[in-house]
Amino acid sequence: MGSDVFEITVNVVKMLLIFLLMVQLVPILVWVERRGSAFIQNRFGPNRVGPLGLTQLLADAVKFLFKEEFVPPSSHALLYYAAPVLALVPGAIAFGGIPLSMPIEIQPFDMFGSHWGPYTFKFQSYDLNIGILFILAISSLGAYALLLAGWGSNNKYSLFGALRASAQMVSYELAMGLSLVGLLMLYQTLNFSQMIELQKGPLHFYFFGRELVVPFLPNWGIFYQPLGFLLFATAAFAETNRLPFDLPEAEGELVAGYHTEYGGLKMLMFYIGEYGHMMVASAVMTTFYFGGYELPFHLSDSLTTAVRGAFTSYNMGNVMAAMALFLVFLLKVLFFLWVFIWVRWTLPRFRYDQLMDLGWKTMLPWALANVLITAFLILVGGGGVL
Amino acid sequence: MAEIILFYFLAAVTVLTAVGVVMNENPLMSALYLVLSMLGIAGLFFLLQAPFIGAVQIMVYAGAVMVLFVLVMMLIDINKDEEKFSGGNISALFKGLTVGVFAGLLTSIILRTPMSTKILVAQQATEVVDIARLLFTKYVLAFELLGIMLLVIPVGIVALTRIRGGTHER
Amino acid sequence: MILPVLVLALIVATFGTLLVYGASLVGPKKKKTAAKYMPYECGLPGQENKKTNVSIRFYLTAILFIMFDIEILFLYPWAVVYREFVDKGQGAFLFWELFVFIGLFVFGLMWEIKAKALEWD
Repeated sequence: MGSDVFEITVNVVKMLLIFLLMVQLVPILVWVERRGSAFIQNRFGPNRVGPLGLTQLLADAVKFLFKEEFVPPSSHALLYYAAPVLALVPGAIAFGGIPLSMPIEIQPFDMFGSHWGPYTFKFQSYDLNIGILFILAISSLGAYALLLAGWGSNNKYSLFGALRASAQMVSYELAMGLSLVGLLMLYQTLNFSQMIELQKGPLHFYFFGRELVVPFLPNWGIFYQPLGFLLFATAAFAETNRLPFDLPEAEGELVAGYHTEYGGLKMLMFYIGEYGHMMVASAVMTTFYFGGYELPFHLSDSLTTAVRGAFTSYNMGNVMAAMALFLVFLLKVLFFLWVFIWVRWTLPRFRYDQLMDLGWKTMLPWALANVLITAFLILVGGGGVL
Repeated sequence: MAEIILFYFLAAVTVLTAVGVVMNENPLMSALYLVLSMLGIAGLFFLLQAPFIGAVQIMVYAGAVMVLFVLVMMLIDINKDEEKFSGGNISALFKGLTVGVFAGLLTSIILRTPMSTKILVAQQATEVVDIARLLFTKYVLAFELLGIMLLVIPVGIVALTRIRGGTHER
Repeated sequence: MILPVLVLALIVATFGTLLVYGASLVGPKKKKTAAKYMPYECGLPGQENKKTNVSIRFYLTAILFIMFDIEILFLYPWAVVYREFVDKGQGAFLFWELFVFIGLFVFGLMWEIKAKALEWD
């Protein structure tokens, strides 16, 4: 985690801040979801507490905190309590593996009477070289929270919700994992930072030995793998149990699905978990298909140079430049999060057999075809990002 | 130093949760302990600088196989089957025998392994790229045979669910 | 390498546990009534029934998932080295290798669909 006190401290603080960022985005997203749904459905939404209803989130949090403690009798108390905690963990760990901005280089400096540095701090909690595989592995653990909640609360609605949720999650995990293989062929790496590096500049690739340049398009993954992106985005909706795939908590049939017996802060934690999964999915989409924290073309280079120029201290300039790119990343992620919300209030829900058919009989074959076609094109044309 | 502490921590987690698997009377809790044990093993793989194997361990064992186990535990009537699951002199005898045989096999394998060469082999293929280069050239036959082996699974389970008297008999 | 992940997991788990525990301390203690403590039911008198018959489909789905999951896992290392082999001129070998593997995969999937193992009726 670091070689001296300063580095360890920075890394731990960074980790905490990234986790808190994730948790703090949730109330804002809930507000956006409620106001956005009201806007879409021609209603007002929460507008009484504070300007635009913005402090509604605070009121909600206090309300959640002061709810009566309730454990259903004859439930498995340990599992009942463990499930909401477990709902938080996979999302938070997966989010820590995604680079949110460029690494910060710090030149040697003096502080507290001793000499420190030089350091390079990555703008992510940890950089495991296998990037996307780690994220996929950790998100595959997400099913446990739902299963434990469903079984632990000893209610048939909860149990059915949990079973549906886990069956749905595993089905769409296949299409999700497979849709990324095409891009991995082009990038030749599993590491996020290297992928982002490859997506710089205008769209250019080699085809039959000739270099083709499309100056008006950025070199983003989506232009190489549009079908892959479509499959990944759809699977991401199903993985996060969002409409049109929110069968696990279909109100008409299952009351509230696996969290029927939960209330107060414990239910809020399931929400944080769900939004956490959404954030991870959005961040992965951004990194794979939309150039991560980089602006299109070489604009991010000019941006960082401009920001660095505004500060006299080299270290401060570097930190602020990384912050600027972090804002770019955040904007892209927020856009996808808005799409998640937007779709929720636009599309109706699937039926369960339709949902499973879509996953197994439509998306899985298309994802396989996508892999084979990409492999064939690379073989004959030698195309790809360079 | 930190690595040694980490190793002992992960090893302790793996072993203690494995003991929990055996000692627990509730099969669902056993399965959950097994998940933790799998995660501990994955952590050990990461510690050995083999992140790919570690991720595979989490994905396949902790993620897929154990989800299946937990699902099955939910489908059976645990309260009734708990007695069948544990207890009985004959089953204790079988348990003792299996544990003894496997422990003997494992110890003999561990004792007969020259440790230094193992570490060398591991160093040749830690990165994903190294594994891939070996797997898709030298061990390509094994790779394709694995595809065939996996093909047996769907045939087998569909046949099993269609057994006469089963819920999905046709 | 794995240490930060463990530290973060610990932090998150502590955070979650504190929230759950704190809420249980702060929340009001009210009288337990029989009706409140029944498992949730919508409109009918609630009944406690631990034994629920669940469709074997869930089990079938899960076990098929394992099989396809393992197959997909092998595609990742393959994808990462594919272009390297294409550049070396051995791309055709790797392509046909994958073709056979995916062929087996597709055969399994087609068989499942034909055998109606993926139907939810």
